[in-house]
Amino acid sequence: MTAAMQAVCALADIPDGGSRGIWPNARGQHQAFVVRQGGQVYGYVNNCPHYDRARLGWKKDAFLNGPGDRIMCASHGALFRITDGKCEIGPCIGQSLRPIAVRVREGHVFTEPPH
Amino acid sequence: MRIIGPDELVFGVDNLDASTAFLTDYGLTSAGDGRFEALDKTAITLRAKDDADLPPPLPTASLLRLTIWGVEDQATLDAIEAELGTDRPVIKDDSGMLRCKDDAGFEIAFRISHRVKLDLPAELINSPGAAPGRAMNAIGANQDAEAKPRTLSHIVYFVPDMDLMANFYIDRLGFVVTDKFTNTGPFLRPQANNDHHVLFMIQTPAYMQGIEHLAFHMQGPTELMLAGSRMVQKGYESFWGPGRHKFGSNWFWYFSSPLGTHVEYDADMDMHDGAWIEREVPMDKEAAQLFLFENVEKWAPGGPPPAGGTKAGTAPEGP
Ligand code: FES
Ligand SMILES: [Fe+2]
Repeated sequence: MTAAMQAVCALADIPDGGSRGIWPNARGQHQAFVVRQGGQVYGYVNNCPHYDRARLGWKKDAFLNGPGDRIMCASHGALFRITDGKCEIGPCIGQSLRPIAVRVREGHVFTEPPH
Repeated sequence: MRIIGPDELVFGVDNLDASTAFLTDYGLTSAGDGRFEALDKTAITLRAKDDADLPPPLPTASLLRLTIWGVEDQATLDAIEAELGTDRPVIKDDSGMLRCKDDAGFEIAFRISHRVKLDLPAELINSPGAAPGRAMNAIGANQDAEAKPRTLSHIVYFVPDMDLMANFYIDRLGFVVTDKFTNTGPFLRPQANNDHHVLFMIQTPAYMQGIEHLAFHMQGPTELMLAGSRMVQKGYESFWGPGRHKFGSNWFWYFSSPLGTHVEYDADMDMHDGAWIEREVPMDKEAAQLFLFENVEKWAPGGPPPAGGTKAGTAPEGP
């Protein structure tokens, strides 16, 4: 674990199959988010490749489509694979979300800062 | 042709619960059967994505399945049927509604508008030099005021060929250009509506085709601020605004939505008639917004700014 990694939440704070916003800025906007699938947690910068500075979610901690099997950008509906952040359909098709390193240790989730 | 404006937009979604909660919190009223109505009965309708009764989806991520335009009378419907019937199939359903595709491939329909005529007060303001807008002792800032969208205002599409798309609405359906962003697309109003725009389009690659945003008119800027602030308090993601556009002059506040489109509140849009001469400017942030406030935690003037300062962010571009 690199020194830059910081605890962002408990694993139990992310519903299994759900998502959570992390790294709020001074105005409370989440700069990154995590998605949990069982014990696996994936982290991405909260920036849609389609549009500079567009945040993905439509509500606090809501970053997934209905079935919960894709990350969704609520702006224009782009869908991204959870495991590698690649856009499969939408305005940024073929592009990817920027991943951030995530570690889960003793029930806590640590990530590097969004960059 | 006496077309009034968008009457109803139908979406096919995979998250009916979230979309229902969003439209309800936005201020529309559930009328049953997936319809969410503004005060004048214009509406958004939600269906499951795989509903067999829906027109086919675009091959893109867009969840909009049908744009229903409201017209004034049967004569207009007949004229549309005759005009569009010359080069495409136009289906008439039992209710008399006409359905076809536009030249960009969007599923569209036309019917005699379901709008009811509203008789409601405008936002009332006091202004030095003018007669008081409000009665003595009438309060302007009412935290508990209702803030309900009055009517479906406009729709904005991403289209692969803006000229083809615009010309269809101009040449075939009598829409009028009010203003233009160079290389982006025109603002259009139909003949039975004086609003600056009910339709706008942005040129994009074909894989982006779909809805960019939709908007409902609010009573005025105060009601727009009230409604938008309530959305923020409920945890919804403010995308752009509040601010005021240059073209159209309308106040705006855009929210991201589980319908995969921005949903805007707007207020106080310019109205135009045949005497208006269109303007044209290149599209950029400065052209799109007269000014922009970002929604920050409130703090008293002279009091401490929130931690981290009050540095204003930059807004994404767009209409
Ligand atoms: S900003 Fe994400 S799909 Fe357009
Ligand atoms: Fe708009």
